[in-house]
Amino acid sequence: MATVRRTARALMYSTRARQVFTVPEYLAPSTIFHQQCSRFHNTGAPTPPHSTQIPANEDAPSSSSTSSEKPQTSKTPSQPFTKAQSDFLSSALRVNQAGELAATLIYTAQTPPIVRAHPHLRPLMKHMYDQEAGHLTYFNSLLAKHRIRPTAMYPVWQVAATALGWGTAIMGREVAMACTEAVETEIGEHYNEQVRVLLDWADKMEARGEGLGEELTQMIGKLRRIRDEELEHLDHAVEHDAKEAKPYEVLTNVIRGGCRTAIWISEKV
Amino acid sequence: MSTAPRLSTPVLRSLRIFSRRAVYWGQRSCYHSYEHPQPPPFPPAESAILSAALSHVPNHGFTSTALKLGAQDAGYLDVSTNLLPRGVFDLVNYHLVTQRLALRHAVQFPAEGQPGRPGVGAKVRALTLARLRANGPILHRWQEALAIMAQPSYVPASLAELARLADEIWFLAGDTTVDFNWYTKRASLSAIYSASEVYMTQDTSANYVETEQFLDTRLADVMRMGSMLSGVGQWVDYTGHSAVNVLRSKGVRI
Amino acid sequence: MSAAQAPRSLFGGQICREARRRAARCPHRSFSSTTRYTQQQPPPSRNPQDAPGTTHFGFETVPESAKEQKVAGVFSSVAGSYDAMNDFMSLGIHRLWKDHFVRNLNPGRNPLTSSPSSPQGWNILDIAGGTGDIAFRMLDHASTINNDAHTKVTVADINPDMLAEGRKRALATPYARSPRLNFIEANAEKLDMIPDNSVDLYTVAFGIRNFTHKDVALREAYRVLKPGGVFACLEFSKVNNALFDTVYKRWSFSAIPLIGQLVAGDRDSYQYLVESIERFPSQTEFRDMIKDAGFLVPGQGWEDLSLGIAAIHKGVKPAAPK
Repeated sequence: MATVRRTARALMYSTRARQVFTVPEYLAPSTIFHQQCSRFHNTGAPTPPHSTQIPANEDAPSSSSTSSEKPQTSKTPSQPFTKAQSDFLSSALRVNQAGELAATLIYTAQTPPIVRAHPHLRPLMKHMYDQEAGHLTYFNSLLAKHRIRPTAMYPVWQVAATALGWGTAIMGREVAMACTEAVETEIGEHYNEQVRVLLDWADKMEARGEGLGEELTQMIGKLRRIRDEELEHLDHAVEHDAKEAKPYEVLTNVIRGGCRTAIWISEKV
Repeated sequence: MSTAPRLSTPVLRSLRIFSRRAVYWGQRSCYHSYEHPQPPPFPPAESAILSAALSHVPNHGFTSTALKLGAQDAGYLDVSTNLLPRGVFDLVNYHLVTQRLALRHAVQFPAEGQPGRPGVGAKVRALTLARLRANGPILHRWQEALAIMAQPSYVPASLAELARLADEIWFLAGDTTVDFNWYTKRASLSAIYSASEVYMTQDTSANYVETEQFLDTRLADVMRMGSMLSGVGQWVDYTGHSAVNVLRSKGVRI
Repeated sequence: MSAAQAPRSLFGGQICREARRRAARCPHRSFSSTTRYTQQQPPPSRNPQDAPGTTHFGFETVPESAKEQKVAGVFSSVAGSYDAMNDFMSLGIHRLWKDHFVRNLNPGRNPLTSSPSSPQGWNILDIAGGTGDIAFRMLDHASTINNDAHTKVTVADINPDMLAEGRKRALATPYARSPRLNFIEANAEKLDMIPDNSVDLYTVAFGIRNFTHKDVALREAYRVLKPGGVFACLEFSKVNNALFDTVYKRWSFSAIPLIGQLVAGDRDSYQYLVESIERFPSQTEFRDMIKDAGFLVPGQGWEDLSLGIAAIHKGVKPAAPK
């Protein structure tokens, strides 16, 4: 069964993901693939809450793969961030928090109607929700720690995300999955862009003879893991017949457009 | 070359400039790094003139005379006060910024886990009071400063600095709210602080006891209002959920 | 030329204008006889160092040695109608800008609020201030606002015709025979008669764009200023609103030379003025030039007036801390 799914995943990457995620694999390599098998073994049983969740605590050791990939953390930065850099970080983290908030609310709203119609999806919905809740906790802690204001559209996104989740779930499993696919595609793309920018800074700072610092190195590692988990949700959505939704093109395009607009707004206010 | 593209490019460019400005105003709170060094709040020459000028404020008020005397003390000339594009407002602003940054060292709380550690509310009160007391030495001149801050061209900068003070107090108090309450907390603290600041200029009691009482009353008001609002919120949330669940139990497919 | 034909692309516009001018008007004034030469040149770039030994005179590229003469020609010819010219260029509000410029600098030492031990009055040097516009305002402000009867202004100009105009106007002021005002003929790039560290305030209003070497003039300003002294410059600048910029360019490139021709009978001088404004570095470029000369700049370094039609740039010579 795992083999079948991995094939589906590979197929997926070859069809759309590769053109969507413009960052080459060597620049922002996947960190989750090796964990996939173990996770798939226990999809049958209810996943214990926060099993694959990222530790919210900054000081907790980050995943081993990141620290071994970038051995540049020994040197610390000596120059203050430029205005553009701190603006980028603030707006990026603000958008991430808003995105994860929306994601948890979408899954919360989708779960009751979906689970009633298809009880076998309960573990999957719970698994995806738990991961998103973990991401939200992580970004909440980052915002508080780095003194970044949350988006002023917070209540608006709360209502919009709940409405989107509930609305798609009412329209059936396929539409709900198409919604997940569209949202996760946008979010994955967004995280990829952030990782790319941060790695670019790392290169430039290394050229100047300083390191990126522990803070940002850890952040890159976590952003990659989170992105990979979002892409995993995308895989699940496709496996569960997201493409069967009618009208697929219209739905995904509308939702993706909405996501892009929300990201654009949250970057600003 | 036709007229249409000639005109459309400047129109687009001015729109773009406008939106860039909107972005600038939208992003006042910025990523606070613990590893990257923080730039100093003022360049050295400005800092030298302004800190010297501040010592003349009790005698000369927030005036260009204080600035000129400060410039002379710092080894500059009268004319060097042109280094401060906003004149006396820069002097007021210097006081505001340095006192805000001094708050971090002025108030120390017991470390995490020790007995007698105050809650966030008590910390906010202590920090606000400490900031108010920092106006003490120049209190008899503070109404001049308030008048300068209220000049239309300086109002945005004054409000931004007030917002930064409220943010600083909540941050130092260890508040980690990152939902919409982030805004309401800062807005209400800003309102309370500015009201107390004005009240304090009229306070003649020993050690500003009356200002302290005023502040406590305002904080209590906001707490009451806040718990009332959150009570209403919880009630709406609960009722909504129960309504949905009742409908679902009746077999409605929602 | 009608207003509708104003150039958006300046070089393209220049060719048309030159061609039209050639057809309409012959013979040329002396310094416009480089028409053919200009036409064959590549479009004028903004780099002040296009070729060694040449500089810009409006949009023309001329040998450095010739610019001074050509500028002298312009100002000698407009000295009498100088105010009218500024009125056209600034839509009449240059008087307000000058008032603001002086009030903002707040010249003069108020004897009531300063320590009696400190020296009395400021020593102000007004460069390119031939007609005395700024000088009279400075002295008025010092006397009436700051009760300072000691502040001195030295008006320096390279052009004797402009100085003569200033001396004539000074007769109508209370400073005509007082030691507080004097006129000298000097080149801003070589102020040999002014000692080092002797000036409190160096002003140049609507003059610096005519200098052949602005960087040399800035270094000379730095030399003569006392530590803590201020360099202040009021000059036409770049309009920062693109929409208004288009309108303003149309006005300045098409209407002003025409008005110059009608009112003063001197199209080419006005054409030069418009082009020299267009040539002048932008706010940020000029701010960086001031920084490069060693000055500290206040805040962002300049203040825009009327959406950037003009701007006030300031620099402060750093003093060693006591």
